[in-house]
Amino acid sequence: MSSRVLPVFDLLLPSNLEEAVGLLSQHGDQAAVMAGGTDLLVGMKVGMSPAFILSLADIQGLDYVAFDAKHGLRIGAMATLSQVVDSKVVNDKYHALWYSAFTNGTPQTRNAGTVVGNILRASPAGDCCCAALAHGGSVLLQGPAGKREVDLDEFWLDYRKTARKPDEVAVELKLKAPEHGYGSGFAALTRSYQDLAKINAAARVIMDGKVCRKVRLAMGAVAPITLRLKEAEKVLTGQEVTDQLLEQMAAAVRKEVKPIDDVRSTAEYRREVAGVLAKRVVQDAIKSVAGPCPYSCFMGA
Amino acid sequence: MKKRSISLTVNGTVHDLEVPVHRTLLQVLREDLDQVETKYGCGTGECGACTVLVDGEKAILGCLTLAASMDGKSITTVAGLEKDGQLHPVQEAFIEEHAIQCGYCTPGMVCKSVSILAKNPKPSEEEIRHNLEGNICRCTGYVKIVQAVQRASERI
Ligand SMILES: Cc1cc2nc3c(=O)[nH]c(=O)nc-3n(C[C@H](O)[C@H](O)[C@H](O)COP(=O)(O)OP(=O)(O)OC[C@H]3O[C@@H](n4cnc5c(N)ncnc54)[C@H](O)[C@@H]3O)c2cc1C
Ligand code: FES
Ligand code: FES
Repeated sequence: MSSRVLPVFDLLLPSNLEEAVGLLSQHGDQAAVMAGGTDLLVGMKVGMSPAFILSLADIQGLDYVAFDAKHGLRIGAMATLSQVVDSKVVNDKYHALWYSAFTNGTPQTRNAGTVVGNILRASPAGDCCCAALAHGGSVLLQGPAGKREVDLDEFWLDYRKTARKPDEVAVELKLKAPEHGYGSGFAALTRSYQDLAKINAAARVIMDGKVCRKVRLAMGAVAPITLRLKEAEKVLTGQEVTDQLLEQMAAAVRKEVKPIDDVRSTAEYRREVAGVLAKRVVQDAIKSVAGPCPYSCFMGA
Repeated sequence: MKKRSISLTVNGTVHDLEVPVHRTLLQVLREDLDQVETKYGCGTGECGACTVLVDGEKAILGCLTLAASMDGKSITTVAGLEKDGQLHPVQEAFIEEHAIQCGYCTPGMVCKSVSILAKNPKPSEEEIRHNLEGNICRCTGYVKIVQAVQRASERI
């Protein structure tokens, strides 16, 4: 029937995290962890061939999306993109992440694919990677020596390479609690909606009236990993946001990105568009301080 | 493990199967159970031809689901939607609106449409379109498919 079939592998189905870590201590180098499988199984149909797949499907209690005002947002390893799209608190308080899930893939891939899988996949074009980096937060990893947290700013090391060790499972993504004046925005340019981004951007601002007290700006598909644009952030920090200031920020963005030519776009195009997209997400983030655009405005209802 | 014993319910019938773990749900449906109504299009999650329902209302892709991970689950394909010889309102609406040309996308399209209406019986046109983004149709141009979902929503 099918021209694209999966290669033979051994399936590991631990029923708790300790067992999972134990199995990874034995087989880690040859094993791929699987959450929703929307990335891993596609990769395996087009060439990847790990000896083992360690599926998290039988581990109960990893599919949570939990918020509290003090600690922020926690998204468990098996929480799907659909769960995040359906979460009012994510839509309300972490709008960039919400939008990055809403536009990610298709309804069917969102029903299986996870936010944590997107982060662990470490694609420079990963939509949730970009939004999560703008919000700021960490990945909670569990290994044989226990749990440790790695800041998202240090999590992606290189193209599809993360700080996770082969014997560790990512347990959850944590995003910081919103401060007063918090707003965020996300945008992606794609050839078509479900396609991987040619370039994506996300911003999180903390505003005091018209003054931008703090900002985090992230951009994807312009370097081997999702980038924080710190020079551009400096342009905005502590300043009243005007059109002129946004132009200066866009100029800083164009200097800071390191795009490549690939099948989706040329480097020159990406550099030009990077400035435009950065301006747009900062404007969206500032707008969202007053309150997020409700679900209905994306649906035209 | 290289094989797993699973109990899989398909359109109400329970099957006890010993599946190689690298087989997809779509392969098991089509090749092992001979239920070929669910189609293979791309094999990589993009076209939606392989869409089936889990537990009656959640749309998933047969081509990106390991059959071994479906132990205890209940699957509905397009062939399992009719009740007592009566087509499902979505199936009827697809016929009445002429939302079918070659028909290759239809099994997936109908299953996805059922899941849309299960979640929201009165979706807006934008919502229908957004939720059908994972189902590609190379014939109809989608207008009649959207109209069919709207027609079905009036009957559910
Ligand atoms: C048709 C289609 C469209 C898509 N569109 C988009 C898109 O628009 N934007 C986008 O960003 N992505 C897109 N994707 C890619 C993919 O769906 C997402 O990246 C998704 O979030 C991956 O989640 P998953 O749970 O399926 O990951 P999996 O496939 O299960 O895993 C992905 C990677 O992360 C690792 N991993 C997962 N969970 C853990 C864990 N808990 N601990 C350690 N390692 C782990 C796996 O080993 C693997 O390397 C698309 C995929 C398809 C098939
Ligand atoms: S065959 Fe499964 S999405 Fe195309
Ligand atoms: S009717 Fe032919 S693909 Fe949709």
